[in-house]
Amino acid sequence: MGQIKFIISLIMISLFTIAMITFGINMANDNDSFYSIDDDPELNALYSGVKTNTSAFITASDSSYSSILNSTISPDSGTAQSTAPFALTPLSVLGVMKGILLVAYTKIFGSGNGFSIFLTTFIGVLIFMMGLYLYKTLRGQPD
Amino acid sequence: MSLYDLPNSTVSPDTILLEVFAVAPWLSPLLLFFVFFVVFLGGSVRQKARTGTADYSLWALLGSISIFLIALFMTIRSGILSLDNLIIVLSITILSSVWFFLDRKASEL
Repeated sequence: MGQIKFIISLIMISLFTIAMITFGINMANDNDSFYSIDDDPELNALYSGVKTNTSAFITASDSSYSSILNSTISPDSGTAQSTAPFALTPLSVLGVMKGILLVAYTKIFGSGNGFSIFLTTFIGVLIFMMGLYLYKTLRGQPD
Repeated sequence: MSLYDLPNSTVSPDTILLEVFAVAPWLSPLLLFFVFFVVFLGGSVRQKARTGTADYSLWALLGSISIFLIALFMTIRSGILSLDNLIIVLSITILSSVWFFLDRKASEL
């Protein structure tokens, strides 16, 4: 398991946890269930903790992507010195992806913000993947 | 002495089900246990017979998602599944997802 797969696996675990807990809570609210996952304090603490930690990921991936684009390596290594060949992939490309995902998401799940962190983090994962793939290509170390 | 008092079926059909769960509270966890292993063992054994290898973590995740959905429906009425059992089912689902996502090879996710 490479670095990209490992970190994406961890993010997917957190997104899955958020999705399951949100689904359970929303179903209990919609159907007026007798029991709800919301009644358990430890699950509530886990839910808010995972959301907070996951939302920190997109900020970190944004900054690491920018630093990768600005990085250089020594020319005697036989590879490109900077990431200039990859400058055609600015973050606005991901804006297109986000727009597409947002339309599909709102048409399927509605405009509620229960799963909004899912989209935000998914974009963060894309940014992270792009950054690391660029870096590994530049260094000649494919994942 | 009778082992089990017959439920009153003159009120509504689902009273039979609710009274059975009231008499045997372990029945709902046992039912979920059964469904989990039907999916887990059934899926992995068939996959191993067809392809030679079985993705155990995938079938464990599918089994736990199945019992999570059934458990959510069981919580609509009181007396079928307790909150503790619902939380245990959710914990099993989350643990299965950890196993599933960390079990992926480099070529897949």
